[in-house]
Amino acid sequence: MNEQNEVGGAGPGVSRRGFVGGSLAAVTVVPLLTGQAETAEAAPAATVDGVTPVTVRTAVNGDPVTLRVDPRATLLDTLRERLDLKGTKKGCDRGQCGACTVHIDGRRVLSCLTLAVTTSGHQVTTIEGLADGDRLHPMQQAFVDHDGLQCGFCTPGQIMSAVAMVDDEGPARSDDEIRERMSGNICRCSAYPRIVDAIRDAQRVMR
Amino acid sequence: MSRSPVGRETERVDGRLKATGAAEYSGDYRAPDLAHAHLVTSTIARGTLTGIDTAAALASPGVLRVYAAPDPRLGLYPITGPLAGFVENYVPLRDAEVHFHGQAIAMVVAETPEQARDAAARVTATYDTRPPRTSLADEPHVPAGPTISGSPSSLNILAPGVASIDAALAASDVVVEAEFHQQMQHHAAMEPHAVLAVWKGDQVTLYAGAQVPSAYALGTAQRIGVPPQNVRLITKYVGGAFGARVILWSDTPLAAAAAREIGRPVRLVLTREQMFTLTGHRPQLTQTVRLGASRDGVLNAISHRSVSERPTTVTFPMTPAHATTDALYRTSNLHVDAQLATLDIPGSRAMRGPNEAPGSFALETAMDELAVATGVDPVELRLRNYATKSPSTGLPWSSKHLEECYRLGARRFGWSARSAKPRSRVEGQWLYGTGMATAIYPAHRRAASVRIRLLDDDTAVVSTGISDFGTGAATMVGISGADALEIPLTRVTPEIGDTLLPQGAPAAGSSATHATVPLIVNAARDAIKELKRLAVTDDRSPWHGANADDLRYERGVLHGQGRSMTFGSLLAAVDSPDITALAESAGEPDPRYVHHSFGAHFCEVRVNRFTGETRVTRFTTVADVGRVINSRAARSQLVGGVIFGIGHALLEENPLELDTGRLASSTLADYLVPVNADVPDIDVHLLGRPDPILTGPLGDGSEEAGTRSLGARGLGEIGTVGSAAAIGNAVYNATGIRVRDVPITLDKLIEHL
Repeated sequence: MNEQNEVGGAGPGVSRRGFVGGSLAAVTVVPLLTGQAETAEAAPAATVDGVTPVTVRTAVNGDPVTLRVDPRATLLDTLRERLDLKGTKKGCDRGQCGACTVHIDGRRVLSCLTLAVTTSGHQVTTIEGLADGDRLHPMQQAFVDHDGLQCGFCTPGQIMSAVAMVDDEGPARSDDEIRERMSGNICRCSAYPRIVDAIRDAQRVMR
Repeated sequence: MSRSPVGRETERVDGRLKATGAAEYSGDYRAPDLAHAHLVTSTIARGTLTGIDTAAALASPGVLRVYAAPDPRLGLYPITGPLAGFVENYVPLRDAEVHFHGQAIAMVVAETPEQARDAAARVTATYDTRPPRTSLADEPHVPAGPTISGSPSSLNILAPGVASIDAALAASDVVVEAEFHQQMQHHAAMEPHAVLAVWKGDQVTLYAGAQVPSAYALGTAQRIGVPPQNVRLITKYVGGAFGARVILWSDTPLAAAAAREIGRPVRLVLTREQMFTLTGHRPQLTQTVRLGASRDGVLNAISHRSVSERPTTVTFPMTPAHATTDALYRTSNLHVDAQLATLDIPGSRAMRGPNEAPGSFALETAMDELAVATGVDPVELRLRNYATKSPSTGLPWSSKHLEECYRLGARRFGWSARSAKPRSRVEGQWLYGTGMATAIYPAHRRAASVRIRLLDDDTAVVSTGISDFGTGAATMVGISGADALEIPLTRVTPEIGDTLLPQGAPAAGSSATHATVPLIVNAARDAIKELKRLAVTDDRSPWHGANADDLRYERGVLHGQGRSMTFGSLLAAVDSPDITALAESAGEPDPRYVHHSFGAHFCEVRVNRFTGETRVTRFTTVADVGRVINSRAARSQLVGGVIFGIGHALLEENPLELDTGRLASSTLADYLVPVNADVPDIDVHLLGRPDPILTGPLGDGSEEAGTRSLGARGLGEIGTVGSAAAIGNAVYNATGIRVRDVPITLDKLIEHL
């Protein structure tokens, strides 16, 4: 009955960090700050038409990551397909829905319109990096408390967008301002009024 | 039990997983040695493929296979019999025929998603093209066929001595006649259809979003030519559905067949563009409503006709009049009729409130026009024509509190302050107006089964293979189980979304809740009976040899003969890991009644005097949906439904290019759905009056099993029904302009402002 094990995903109890470091041959989690030598190997057949892979040195959710990527690879596909960070969702792949929203150095960006190579030297934060262990980020907690989600597919993008809206751009001064500033994130289930409630509450706690 | 969770504000069981990104959707599953598929779609609407050039794709890096129609390697078959209406009637990639623009004609499988997509772009095709049929005006029109409840596509009920509906209308003091048009709309669920197919020997496990998992797995089995027991479908987290995941489309069979043919797991994820042609849409529709009434607004005759589309591959035969007009108002003369035009366009399917949302837009707009014509207040007009038995069958309702919805909604909204005269309220550049409309949605019971297991750790598992695509179904199962077993919700594990579980109710037609809760109660009754039987028959039980009737179950504890034991400790004492009870139902409704949910919408809009821009500023909905299981998730569903109505009224349409059969929109920048800034706070109130018939007799509290979840009705669609009409009626009140072709965009207002 455990379909996760059946298809070889990271089972319960396997930490993201350990899983990423231990199971992808092409990925080496390198503690760059301590100056340890890079041990990244050439990427597998992730290239098309002989394009030379490029090395990216970035940090994802606080973990230094060195990766050889196709220079055309998006940050979204790299997160999902190479780093196994599947909380970031692909809803349209062309910057129209907001489901793929992540943070680069605390700013909200659409990872489907961001090339992975451009994240070198920057901090990438995804939905998986938001909670402090079992303690949810206040924004995550507020979304749960206010039922600011239904199917949940847009939710990681909504939450990442909302956190940066408050932390990076400054809290909204009215509900209408929340609505306007959150209109890059589509929720087809239309949890919008509850999302506004959640953000209004969370930004008080975040201040 | 003093703290039943039924009706309370309960957090979703999966809320935390969704808020942390840990919930795994179909496209998130992985498998060792995974290969990736990408589809190539047709660029004509009707014709025959004369050749597909796959050489460049095959030479691309990482490519494992290119399947091009007709491709016998996939081993796909036609489906006949009961499931024929549940699938498309062509076999993907099996022949060279093109039935619509955007049909799958080839599939590339490669080592990475990028390689598959890149190679797919190098596939070219040539066609022998024929002119597509694309317009609803194209004759001949054919009858839509009987509705789901069996009523014929054309219905003509006339009072004694009345020759025809036209005669009844001609004899009426006041006649309103109006024609309504709408283009295709799309479900536009946030998760593009995705499937992972993993074979082990002759068994395949599919990870895909499905609203009716059992039929979806069965359909896949028939399509790929394997016995039903060889297919397992896991559909745990589904990123929205709204009808687009009811039937089996081409994606899952293609992925399953490719995985079998190459001997590796295959994942296929549709692009957003492909979603528009490969996963259905709400059909385009023309409706004509004629109302005949006395000078004080009492209806004498209603006629409601529709012409909709019948795509050649799969169709949802629209009968919008049947779902609203033959059930809503008292009238002596009633005529409904539904016709279809055969078109070479992508397949269509039910979309949230499939018939009811467009049907109510026409009827409830016409009712507003009648209110204007007679000078009767729109709420009062509806009360004057209130039906206490079904206008088409004469049967009473199992439960109907619509009158209370009108009165309470009017009070909450402040309806009495309204001026019936258009353009009465102007504030700066904005014209303000208010409107209202009725909501009605049928409650059909469907076949389902539920298993309850009591475990020796004093927890219970409630299992049913339903799908939760954001509805809160999993939480509903937990709440109903906790109430039925009278134990805290934290001790109940709902188990859903897997065809290995007992067959769940379809998550379609707002029926999952009322199909499931009576079975949970029945399974709990049987589990308690079985627990007592074990207690008196097992020689390790302290009650061995006692009479089961002397034992009493209360809040998870058995009492009797001065002793008490929790079910878990009894199970442990007799060394039995669990007790299982299974409840099943064919879902037969009580034929002496008709079953509907009801609601009343009240809306305020403002329309810009200079640009025609329309914004919804206030919205109140009062709904009669039977017993409410989880007031938090229920309110979210109603609010979401109303917002679908905002899309319907103001934003959503996908016109067809008549020459080519190509849809004009294929992205979320062209096909507009509501965003946060389009939505005000929405006031939703649920009456919460239990339906005493639909789920069987209500409990009186004397039973050992809790029965507080009985009397519920599903509520996923009722918010979508009527909400668009309330908005359109408010636009009329604001501007004096009646727009009958949705969406009400500024170009339709500005020239008249």
